[in-house]
Amino acid sequence: MTDTSPPPPEQQASSVLAQMAPPEDRRDTGRFATLLGRFAPWLAAIGRLTRHQVRFTLLLIGAGWGTLRESLRPNSWRRPVIYEFRATLRQVIGGGFLSIVITATLAGLMVVSQAAYWLGYAGMAQMTGSILVSVLVREIAPILVGIILMGRSGMLSLTEIGMMVLGGEVRGLQARGIDPFLALVMPRTFAFTVGGFTLGMIFAVVSLLMGFVVAHASGAITSSVWTFFFNVLAAMTTWDYLIIPLKFVLVGFFVGLGSCISGLTVSSNDTMATIMPRGFARGIMLVLVVNILFMLDF
Amino acid sequence: MAANAPLLELRDAVPSFEESGLMPAPYNLRIMPGECAVIDCRDFERAAMFADLCTGMIPLTQGSIKFMGLDWSTLYDRQLNALRGRIGRISRHGSWLSLFGTHLNIMLPHLYHTTDPFDHVVRRATELGHTFGFPGLPITAPDRLSGADLARAACVRAFMGRPDLLILEDISDMLPEETVLPFFETMTAARDRGCGVLWFVRSTAAWHEYRKAVNIHMRLLDEGLFSLRVV
Repeated sequence: MTDTSPPPPEQQASSVLAQMAPPEDRRDTGRFATLLGRFAPWLAAIGRLTRHQVRFTLLLIGAGWGTLRESLRPNSWRRPVIYEFRATLRQVIGGGFLSIVITATLAGLMVVSQAAYWLGYAGMAQMTGSILVSVLVREIAPILVGIILMGRSGMLSLTEIGMMVLGGEVRGLQARGIDPFLALVMPRTFAFTVGGFTLGMIFAVVSLLMGFVVAHASGAITSSVWTFFFNVLAAMTTWDYLIIPLKFVLVGFFVGLGSCISGLTVSSNDTMATIMPRGFARGIMLVLVVNILFMLDF
Repeated sequence: MAANAPLLELRDAVPSFEESGLMPAPYNLRIMPGECAVIDCRDFERAAMFADLCTGMIPLTQGSIKFMGLDWSTLYDRQLNALRGRIGRISRHGSWLSLFGTHLNIMLPHLYHTTDPFDHVVRRATELGHTFGFPGLPITAPDRLSGADLARAACVRAFMGRPDLLILEDISDMLPEETVLPFFETMTAARDRGCGVLWFVRSTAAWHEYRKAVNIHMRLLDEGLFSLRVV
């Protein structure tokens, strides 16, 4: 068998430029080609990296659209799809509940009690509600919920699906006419979406409540819990009622979708050591991108 | 599907070497409803690839593969999946999902492709389980079952839902001896109602007792698929 592999990029660049140049410019061209040849591997590496990153973004957009479109078809929600949705939802909410409560408690202790104390000290206690809504509920909660979703459940989905691809189980599903996108990606993504919203709401309530308890105990807040929550709700604008749930929903959606797609697109060269860091980095990036996009507009 | 039309027909089908690793040679095979084709193949992976080829999972560079009169290459994803749902398959590798218990793994294709009531599916799976020597449906995870029990479960799954074609990879080394006769009986019953069988074997011992009922005998080699005389 003859070796038909193409020459390395630097050799290709040199030969092409040498053929194109007139005879008197050959020496300059040769130097330029040598210089280009030296940088060609770097340029190629940057190009590869860029293509790789764009590939995931495009995959995510396509899969997101596919998930939404397929979910609207009644015959997409077949029995195994519904079982998978329920199992993942149970895992997402059950697995993340305790972590969310503990994180929300800590966040509440730090943010609510500090805000109440310092705003009271500055004579701006009436601002407590609006600051808590904009800092804790709108900005911090979606990021923390996204990170917990990613760590507790996203990585699990990524590993499960990735191992199924490497072990040939996904191909086995396809051989039996079961679409892995319908059977795995769609139900898990929606389970993460519902889970993101649920855990986000739990986070918001627990963090505010725990913050109130501590601030009330220390004397920073003297009003009742009902007055405190009334002030927080009164400080919310109409947009907040839309944006806050939407952030939780979108964080859940993209964490779930990103994990499943990362798992489904592993190659035969991948191992756990390459799958997990890549999936985690992508998940964190998605959580931040969703939050930053909302921050830009609102 | 027209009357007297072949159930599965490979006509000069040349698989893509990059996608399959199968030699790009033209493959020809024709199975009529109720027929049984035994294919000798010593290499499990090659047999699995050829099975994938027959189920339209490997792109062709030439020729065509038709199942129930439909060319795999002309179908959309949903049609492909629906048609693959008509095939009962026994695979040696990668066919059990550790996410579910064995019972759900067995019933999964049937629950996915049909709207039959759940109780009915469970009853049918349990009946087949009894036939293959299970006391009921195994609910433990597949990776906790013995090789023999996995082979039994693979048989139950393949015969579930009255498939039109059975693609059976060789599990004769795992199948317990007392299950061989029920296996032949269930296969014959399926053939009697028009189901075709494509059966990959590694040695003559696997199908020796069934040889009188075999219609086609071929050998799958690196160079392609070759007809042999049925003895």
